[in-house]
Amino acid sequence: MRALIFNIQRYSIHDGGGIRTIVFFKGCPLHCPWCANPESQSFESEIMKLKSQCIHCNVCAGNAAECPSGALAEQGKWMSVDEVLAEVLKDSVFFNTSGGGVTLSGGEVLSQADFAAELLRQLKELGIHTAIETSGFGRWEALEGLAEYADVILYDLKIMDPEQSKKTLGADSEIILKNLAKLVDKGCRVIPRVPLIPGFTMDEKNITTISDLAQRYGLKEIHLLPFHQYGSSKYESLGRDYALKDLAVPTDEEVNAIKSKLEARGFMVVIGGG
Amino acid sequence: MVSERIQNLKDEMLKARRDISLERASIYTKSYRMTEGEPAIIRRAKATAQVLAEVEISIREGELLAGNRTVKPRSGIASPEMDPYWIYEELDTLHSRPQDKFYVSDEAKKLYREELYPYWRGHSLKDFINARLTKEVKEAQETHIVNLNQTDKGQGHIIMGYRDLLSLGLGNLVDRVRAKQEKEPENVFYQAALITLEATVKHILRYAELTKTLAEKEENPSRQRELLELSRVCSKVAVHKPDTFYEATQLFWFINLAAQYESNASSISPGRFDQYMVPFYQRDRENGVQEEFIKEVLRSLWLKMNDVVLLRSEDSAKYFAGFPTGYTIILGGLDERGHCAVNDLSYLILDTYQDIRLPQPNLGVRINEFTPRRFYNKVVETIRLGTGIPQVFNDEVIIPGFLNRSVSLEEARDYAVVGCVELSIPGKTYGLHDIALFNLLKVMEVTLAEKAGEFDDFAAVKAAIKENIRRYVAYMVEGCNIVETGHRDFAPIPFLSCFVDSCLEKGVDVSAGGAKFNFSGVQGIGTANLSDSLYVIKKLCYEDKRMTLSELLSSLKVNFEDEGGEALRARLIHKYAKYGNDISEVDDIGAEILAYYCKTVEGYTNERGGRFLPGSYTVSAHVPLGAAVGATADGRKAGEQLADGGLSPMVGRDEKGPTAVLKSVSRLDNYLTSNGSLLNVKFHPKALEGQAGINKMIGYLQAFMKLKIQHIQFNIISADTLRAAQREPEKYRNLVVRVAGYSAIFIELNKAIQDDIIARTEHVF
Repeated sequence: MRALIFNIQRYSIHDGGGIRTIVFFKGCPLHCPWCANPESQSFESEIMKLKSQCIHCNVCAGNAAECPSGALAEQGKWMSVDEVLAEVLKDSVFFNTSGGGVTLSGGEVLSQADFAAELLRQLKELGIHTAIETSGFGRWEALEGLAEYADVILYDLKIMDPEQSKKTLGADSEIILKNLAKLVDKGCRVIPRVPLIPGFTMDEKNITTISDLAQRYGLKEIHLLPFHQYGSSKYESLGRDYALKDLAVPTDEEVNAIKSKLEARGFMVVIGGG
Repeated sequence: MVSERIQNLKDEMLKARRDISLERASIYTKSYRMTEGEPAIIRRAKATAQVLAEVEISIREGELLAGNRTVKPRSGIASPEMDPYWIYEELDTLHSRPQDKFYVSDEAKKLYREELYPYWRGHSLKDFINARLTKEVKEAQETHIVNLNQTDKGQGHIIMGYRDLLSLGLGNLVDRVRAKQEKEPENVFYQAALITLEATVKHILRYAELTKTLAEKEENPSRQRELLELSRVCSKVAVHKPDTFYEATQLFWFINLAAQYESNASSISPGRFDQYMVPFYQRDRENGVQEEFIKEVLRSLWLKMNDVVLLRSEDSAKYFAGFPTGYTIILGGLDERGHCAVNDLSYLILDTYQDIRLPQPNLGVRINEFTPRRFYNKVVETIRLGTGIPQVFNDEVIIPGFLNRSVSLEEARDYAVVGCVELSIPGKTYGLHDIALFNLLKVMEVTLAEKAGEFDDFAAVKAAIKENIRRYVAYMVEGCNIVETGHRDFAPIPFLSCFVDSCLEKGVDVSAGGAKFNFSGVQGIGTANLSDSLYVIKKLCYEDKRMTLSELLSSLKVNFEDEGGEALRARLIHKYAKYGNDISEVDDIGAEILAYYCKTVEGYTNERGGRFLPGSYTVSAHVPLGAAVGATADGRKAGEQLADGGLSPMVGRDEKGPTAVLKSVSRLDNYLTSNGSLLNVKFHPKALEGQAGINKMIGYLQAFMKLKIQHIQFNIISADTLRAAQREPEKYRNLVVRVAGYSAIFIELNKAIQDDIIARTEHVF
């Protein structure tokens, strides 16, 4: 069994507790316009070209393996569970001392659920704390299989309006919400994560709908992920247009206003995830 | 909170232009003229005594502690008796040189040229050493494989023992030495020791007089009371044992000053200040002394430690940039029974350092499995301020490392740190901890060139490098032993020896083997670049066979300026794994060579019968040592710096984050570098925000401990701030950063070192 992985990032301190290693699965059924990791979307490996790194040596002839400067780089590598496990276990001493662990993210981890479930199972067997980060857009059976071995589920709640969700993200929000209900029902520890994207998710109605839902389900913690432009150069590297390249990031005041509102309703709010 | 007193003293100290002081040199020379023909140790003692008797003393406005080495703050003291030449040559450039500038008045230049230089020319420590260095040792130095230190200044890098002094008093010590001297009247060491001790008593009494005189003239009644109290303290500690924290601190500082007058040396380090001072703190608290007063005494002491700067030659200042004076204090750790030794004073010292935020004291903490969480909080909170202080040492590897050097368990548990990161048993060791640097990367370069790249296989490459390591280590040892005899025969330090076991019992100066532990510490440098370069050679030339080693060498020889050279360089950098990314296949190459170096070094003994001990730290020498090495197979260009620190990855080559860096370093056998090693890690301030940030940093430090790495230190200042400080230095007068085992004021560093600090990989999240 193999999965297409586009990055394994160590010392991440924003996706679940403690010092964590994040495994990024490649391929996502959604197409969020603000996606900061455009290389995560396609289910196939692809070549990225970092223009700033190219030294114009003409050695590569378009072959990433021959590019000396690393400007041309293949994104996505098919890896076995053993290979991924070997890589993530390299930081186990840090997981132990910091209360950290491994987070599976994407792309969409649900799209490669069998592999992910096996990886999580083996991690739990080794006593390692696990988390998944998902849009919830996938089959319940797949999600249930992951939930079995995930200590924390970071659950994206982006656009609550069904029509807008369909149109903007390409996701049926009914599936997402049903899956959430079942996770809560199962007693899983779910933390909603809300991207704060001006003009898409930050309106009062959307935030209120999310917080109503979270309150109804008795969820205590909410993570807010303010929009940033760090991913914009990646679109260029992939030779793609980026629709939000001129969108201004939200101000601290705007972010804090939403934070305060949620805190007033009794939520523990973390900006950037923690 | 910083009091007005402290703020004013700090401002005055940093504002003042740094001058050269020739006062000590003049008095010292005058004394030498009168003692021709007497034994060297007696001449040294008499010269020191004369300096203590005649040097101008002062109390600065608002000072709570007495004892200024020079009347003007932060003056550089010249030691022509050690090396008269470089000062002579650099008199006109000292004020304009790139690093550690000093102003020299015309009067001082004249005095130096006409009186001091002619007297010492041909009769200095430097002459003594140079006359004995063999051709091979000189060649090893000229090729920049071996760098011998301490050939031009007095002997420091020692931690004096304070426990007896503080519990029995200076008078008691004088009596003990006098009794020894009377019993063995022919022993010149006892004679010399007694001369310096008696002179120190008198020197302290001069301060008692001065403060009394100043008090009489003082119009402000509260300051007058302070001065009278200070006068009382000085009179008391000149003879009697101290009873309060204030008295003990004052005595501690006077003894430090006297040691400085004797040798004008780097790194006469205080060691475990929180351990030997805590009884006074506890007694004071029981007697109702306010904690705030004790804090003010501590802040005053920290300022004093910044007042002492070392005058180095232009070349030496490149290696030791920004005044690493070496008031290195180590906190916490274990007591002799193996219990946690963190106490109230450990916290108070970190608290008061937070108020001062200067390069000295160079604070460090010892951590182990017993270190309390609350102490970690305080440590990380202090680290977060960004001055690079405290540095962190790991008992879990350092103590076993000492056991491997035949140090007893109780003594190993008492280890402290001298200078930057050198490990020492306080009050018992003459360790010559910083006697030489060994450029491993240069050995590789020389080895590859010798055979023009003609090796049968990769194993043959490694074998040839090892053979040369063996050859050059022998030259280094020979050189170190010559330097050692130079200090022994020319510049003994009888005053300092009184505070090192077992000099008084044996009646022998530390420089002649009086100490209980007699090491010589030599640092192997270049592990990261060596790992990276050899891994490239292994893969590129012997496995993938894309090019032969000779072809690679020819491109290196022209610094990649041949056709396709730039693409080759890019390939070497990007297509081959590098040390610092937790890839054991790479890391293990450096580990193997460094271990070989260590094992070779530890087979040698010095003139005192002690062992040579390997270490791995660079201070700031990775810049000048890099300048001596041509282009290397890791893609490093000719003359470019080496990896900083000692164990750090090459700048910009660690791409997998700070956990991977620790894992790579943990592949080295860190038990072997028992003279000390150094790892720099840089974090963006955002990584340490809030209690959550502190908690993650604590997790990181605890993993560091479990990975058995000896040392780590942090720079927590964004590269943007540092660049802004380069642009507008006047606005960043107080910005203190970590260089290597010590901190310095950023704007006082030269551009090359500033750029190096900015370039070190910054871990952002």
